[in-house]
Amino acid sequence: MRPLDPVTSKRRAAYGLAFFVLFVALWSWATFGGHVSKTFLANPLTMVQEGVDLLTQHGFLFDIGMTIWRVVGGFALAAVIAVPLGVLMGAYKPVEAFLEPFVSFARYLPASAFIPLLILWAGIGELQKLLVIFIGSVFQVILMVAVTVGATRRDLVEAAYTLGAGDRGIIRRVLLPSSAPEIAEILRLVLGWAWTYVIVAELIGSSSGIGHMITDSQALLNTGQIIFGIIVIGLIGLISDFLFKAFNAWLFPWKLA
Amino acid sequence: MTTLKIEQVSRTFPARHGNAPTKALEPTDLIIGNNDFVTILGPSGCGKSTLLRIVAGLDRPTSGRVTLDAREVTGPGADRGMVFQSYTLFPWLTVRENIAFGLRERGVPQGERHKIADAFIRQVGLAGFENHWPKQLSGGMQQRTAIARALANDPKILLLDEPFGALDNQTRALMQEMLLGIWERDQKTVLFVTHDIEEAIFLGSRVIVMSARPGRIKAEIAVDLPHPRSYKIKTTPEFVRLKERLVEEIRTEALKVAEHA
Repeated sequence: MRPLDPVTSKRRAAYGLAFFVLFVALWSWATFGGHVSKTFLANPLTMVQEGVDLLTQHGFLFDIGMTIWRVVGGFALAAVIAVPLGVLMGAYKPVEAFLEPFVSFARYLPASAFIPLLILWAGIGELQKLLVIFIGSVFQVILMVAVTVGATRRDLVEAAYTLGAGDRGIIRRVLLPSSAPEIAEILRLVLGWAWTYVIVAELIGSSSGIGHMITDSQALLNTGQIIFGIIVIGLIGLISDFLFKAFNAWLFPWKLA
Repeated sequence: MTTLKIEQVSRTFPARHGNAPTKALEPTDLIIGNNDFVTILGPSGCGKSTLLRIVAGLDRPTSGRVTLDAREVTGPGADRGMVFQSYTLFPWLTVRENIAFGLRERGVPQGERHKIADAFIRQVGLAGFENHWPKQLSGGMQQRTAIARALANDPKILLLDEPFGALDNQTRALMQEMLLGIWERDQKTVLFVTHDIEEAIFLGSRVIVMSARPGRIKAEIAVDLPHPRSYKIKTTPEFVRLKERLVEEIRTEALKVAEHA
């Protein structure tokens, strides 16, 4: 091992997998070995059994579907508003001066603290869940997109001007394409955060979703189900991250070339 | 017919953080005629790039004005093509798309765009690289693409800001020959900024020598070497004499900068 020395992709995969194995081994040692009481932590085998039970007997797939739809829905709503606004702020400094202070402030408002208020406003239906995710994501995306667009290489902008580009051309043919990979990366990042908000939203006043299942299991002291739910969230996150990365690589071949 | 007139153009950068304002360029006059190849030679920090950026419309003069064919320059435009020292190809466009950028901005249909771009790709010797991304090109190839991109717009004047400054010596010499070949063949009005004395003589019909801080034109030297010029001209007595003279001019300026630094 030397600083910054690369590893081969085979080894990288092997090392990554090794930690998962180590993690499960530690967990097994703690539970099967009787070092932790069953009441507090289920062992891996029980967790798998409970998971199968959840999927086959309790329609957990429906819960998973509900949660995914809430995340994707709320996040898409946020992205549709935040990306154009962020681009505008990045491109036009007066717009940035107008909105940036407020967005910076709003960014620190915790989405979960809005849940009681949102229940009051929007009830406990789907709209409330979408709004939690929306509030949690929209300000982050606006600000990060604005910074990215504002940091576009000035020499590229100047080159475009000397090639006869107008203001519209600068935005459409320089600012947007040069920021696009970064914007995709921002969306990938914030989507990860949106997963936290959705579970919190489902813990309170919900009748479906992974978070709802977790609260139900807590009442029954079924730690196996809780852990299974958490692991499912992690797996979905891992898959969506992978898909996002593959999609970005396909969308922006010039980044990799 | 193209005439570029620089009339009493000066540039002072405003004071910052309590420092005195920086006078980058004293009032300067220069007229560049049709198909002239003028090189501006000066040590770093002499305001030569500032002058070029003002001509390009990327910077505003503090006083004076620049006119191109009697029309005052108020901002950047397609009639003044520019090649920068830094690599400014759009990384998300292929070589062909980069060269066609200005054409597309003007609404030239795709078929014609490709035809024009491909002609310039051949001219700068990049046939076979049409669909490469800039990242896949060497520095010299990137600058050749940048020159083709500026030329494809058919500007009235071509402005070059030390375009070969970041290249190694061998590549630089080849690029100079390529650029001069294009100029000899197609005739174009060119304003070329450099700090390399040999480059200034080899390319230019006139060399404008600038003094350091604040920048102003110190001397103007006609280069009467015959065209077409090949690299061999660099060892002829006439070339060497010009070089000796310019070395003296530049040396006194460089010394002044060193003393003030």
